[in-house]
Amino acid sequence: MNIQISDSWLREFLETKATPSQIAEYLSLCSQSVGKLIKDEKETVYDIEITTNRPDCLSVYGIARELSAILPRFEINARLKEIPVAKIPKVKSGFPLQVKISKTELCPRFTALVFDNVIIKPSPLSVRKRLENSGIRALNNVVDISNYLMLELGQPMHTFDYDKILKHKMFLRESKEGEEIITLDGQRRKLKEGIIVIEDGEGRIVDLCGIMGGKNSETDKNTKRVLLFVQTYNPMKIRKACQALGFRTEAASRFEKGLDPEGVIPAMERATLLFKEWCGGKVGNELTDIYPSPPKPKTVIVTKVKIDTIMGINIKLEDAKKFLDNLGFKTKIDAKTNSLTAEVPHWRNGDIEIPEDLIEEIARLYGYHNLPNTLPPISSLNYQKEATFEWEDKIKTALKYWGFTETVSYSMARKDLIHNPADHLKISNPLTEDLLYLRTSLIPSLLEVISKNPTEEGIKIFEMANAYLPRGKKELPLETMTLTLAVKGESKYLEVKGILDALLKELGITKFSIKPEKFPSLNYGAQIFIGETNIGIIGEVVSPELTRFGINQKVTVLDIQLNRLLSFATHAKGYIPLPKYPPIIEDLSFVFPPQTFIGPIIEEIKKINEIIKEVEFIDSYQNTRTFRITYQSQERNLTDSEIKSIRKKIIDFVSAKFRAQVKEAL
Amino acid sequence: MIKDQIRNLKNEAVGEILEAKSLQELEKIRVIFLGRSGKINALTKEIPKLPADERGGIGKLINETKKTIEEVLSQTQNKLTKTDRKTEWIDVTAPGIKPPEGHLHLITEAISEISSIFASLGFHRARYPEVEWDWYSFEGLNMGENHPARDEWETFFIEGLENQKYGKGILTPHTSSGQLREMERYTPPLRMLNIAKCYRRQSDMSHAPMFYQFEGLVVDKNINISHLKGTIDYFTKQYFGPDRKSRIRPFHFQFTEPSFEVDVTCLICHGKGCRTCKEGWMELGGSGMVHPKVLKNGGIDPEKYSGFAFGWGVERVLMMKYGINDIRLLFEGDLRFLKQF
Repeated sequence: MNIQISDSWLREFLETKATPSQIAEYLSLCSQSVGKLIKDEKETVYDIEITTNRPDCLSVYGIARELSAILPRFEINARLKEIPVAKIPKVKSGFPLQVKISKTELCPRFTALVFDNVIIKPSPLSVRKRLENSGIRALNNVVDISNYLMLELGQPMHTFDYDKILKHKMFLRESKEGEEIITLDGQRRKLKEGIIVIEDGEGRIVDLCGIMGGKNSETDKNTKRVLLFVQTYNPMKIRKACQALGFRTEAASRFEKGLDPEGVIPAMERATLLFKEWCGGKVGNELTDIYPSPPKPKTVIVTKVKIDTIMGINIKLEDAKKFLDNLGFKTKIDAKTNSLTAEVPHWRNGDIEIPEDLIEEIARLYGYHNLPNTLPPISSLNYQKEATFEWEDKIKTALKYWGFTETVSYSMARKDLIHNPADHLKISNPLTEDLLYLRTSLIPSLLEVISKNPTEEGIKIFEMANAYLPRGKKELPLETMTLTLAVKGESKYLEVKGILDALLKELGITKFSIKPEKFPSLNYGAQIFIGETNIGIIGEVVSPELTRFGINQKVTVLDIQLNRLLSFATHAKGYIPLPKYPPIIEDLSFVFPPQTFIGPIIEEIKKINEIIKEVEFIDSYQNTRTFRITYQSQERNLTDSEIKSIRKKIIDFVSAKFRAQVKEAL
Repeated sequence: MIKDQIRNLKNEAVGEILEAKSLQELEKIRVIFLGRSGKINALTKEIPKLPADERGGIGKLINETKKTIEEVLSQTQNKLTKTDRKTEWIDVTAPGIKPPEGHLHLITEAISEISSIFASLGFHRARYPEVEWDWYSFEGLNMGENHPARDEWETFFIEGLENQKYGKGILTPHTSSGQLREMERYTPPLRMLNIAKCYRRQSDMSHAPMFYQFEGLVVDKNINISHLKGTIDYFTKQYFGPDRKSRIRPFHFQFTEPSFEVDVTCLICHGKGCRTCKEGWMELGGSGMVHPKVLKNGGIDPEKYSGFAFGWGVERVLMMKYGINDIRLLFEGDLRFLKQF
């Protein structure tokens, strides 16, 4: 959460000669970050990002308090000034208020005070300007006091018109399902169960506690008596209420972080002064202060060994003590145990719990910028080499050099991009309907990329990403790394198949098989096997599917389950002694019946004799297929007659098994 | 009769060989005459048909012819080898024939670079689930269900996915979930670099609903803040350049104590201060000393071990490096963009 505070305001609480840019820099280095300095001729405004653990810094005073400890570390004097207040007088009779609280845990501290004789008018110009600098619109002196003090002291407060609280009774309780309130902004809000509200003596809900007041009890230009409310609430309750209502105010953002109940009275006293000065208001009854269980002071102990271990330097306990004391801790050094015992200031009760919290305080005041830069020494490491990442990089690099462009698309897809929504994980709170289902295949994503680039010719793309396969409602899905290629253009099937061949070869895999199979969305679909393991599919996307994506050219896809493939990948390459005897190479052509698969023929020919070293498919014309056969022996020169008999075996076998007819050799 | 044939063949062959202009042409001629199905072999096949007394003489004649052709062939080959180069004119100014041109995605390049920088410090790469249990992403990281700090991580939930022990199924909004996963998987010393996709309900120029983070985790005895600073400084100088400076300043995360925000000097103004940076610094991301509760949740004794962690956006660092101003460009699949890198 960011706050904007004016420099002149800050200096009302901090006496220092530090310039605004020094303040910005040193505050950023040691505490909360100043994002920007906004300057005009009269004023500098600090835009400060306050971390969620430090609600005590969400105020002008809180920042001044931090700076009073930080600036001296940069050799700049700084003194925190007193908060100007008026003591609350004890008024016996006057304007009564009866308060009842249903459960103490809803509201750790409840205070209320009535001001009489209030004259509603605009606030002083300087006040209005400061509010504006902080992003809050000035309304009138009464409302402005509550906003001004929220910014100045970090304590939100609310003002009611005392005469609109019927019977002058208040009952703080949890809301019931279906109750309603019209809030100050004019919105009618339906309440769920368990939101902290206040009802008056007539049962009307007059306040949505900690979030926004009710329209029915707001101050207006005729208001004479103001009921000022200063409370702390159960932060969890406020947070849940905001979530349930779907709206959050600046006050709520502060309450839900947990506020210091000890800060309530100073805020009340400060308000008393401002009511007197700005509105002419006089205290009109006794202060109501319901505070059943004030928190006990908390102490945290940290040893010097621990401080030194985390900071990586040798720090004197005296210095550490000084840093903590300047931040408001009450610290004692225990020489025997070589440790510090620190009593936590009440405004830090919420965030200081463990020794590490104290170390953070010590270290940031010592200055992180004063700590050395050292690389951590390696004592030992137990990791086994994990090759997956190397293989993935190798595959991507190979594809790049084979002319492919890598794409990265969202893991989520819209409904019409996927086939069976029920088989997909679904996001219950999607950002848009485009990102609704977790994809189980990358093919639609690649088709979408192709469709988005209609003018691009010869698209060759790939993506490597997880697919998410559901495994029931109690188990995380299987995340399988998938490699998908898509090539746009006519007759690209064998080109894509060639990529598969080359890819497997890169991975040291020489044996795999292709089994044609029917897929609803693929023509010429086939499964790819290594041994018994199906590692993926290849095929040409069917036209209806292409039409759906608005693609008017063919697209061939290859889809590989990378984890399965990589389980076969190997760097090991067997060494075969270089041949001493020359090979004999010849081409054989056969005429086959139409649509004869060539893969099995090549495999079968290789099995005929061990001197058949290689069978290459080199040419195809109509139904004629030409193979280049390499005969080679490791032991001897091959003779013509030897070749002749093997050649005959090949011809006989192919002719018989595949109903082919040999064409005479040239 | 056959003798004439042989003589003609010889003349024909020698003639053609001498006419040949290139080595390729010469090879064709060789196949025609001396190939396995060449003209000489064809003549040889005729020998058995001859009367027995002629066979010897003809055989010899064919052999001699073959030898002659081979000789002329080899001489011509030598000659052509010496002169061949000069015959063809090459336009040296013409564009070359390029190998196929492909492109890796910028994110892949950045991940490789980041991994190799951290590998040189002994970090091992890991990748943990993207669809994750609340426990690993929040609860186990010291962030209970109603913690206001959760607001920083606008989280996607998966419909109907829930586990009694680990809570709801979500898309992990940060790689910090990998800290607990790593601690469960290995015993210290740990030096992890977890790079994975993360998801948050945000979309604008600098936020995409999906993005990558890289998370470093070091757990060992006596790991301290200066080790974190040293590691960050090494990375920023390697990745952004040797004249970059880095700093850490206080921040808050529930799973580290103390926590820091890491800044690098602005790449545009070099630290002087400009419109795109904060007073000369650019935010890189969060880091901190691993919270003792997180170590405990990961089964590590915080009294014996300490550690640091950092988690930064891959896109963020690469956008800083390349000056890309809209993160969503990276995921839109516009080939005109992808082919620039």
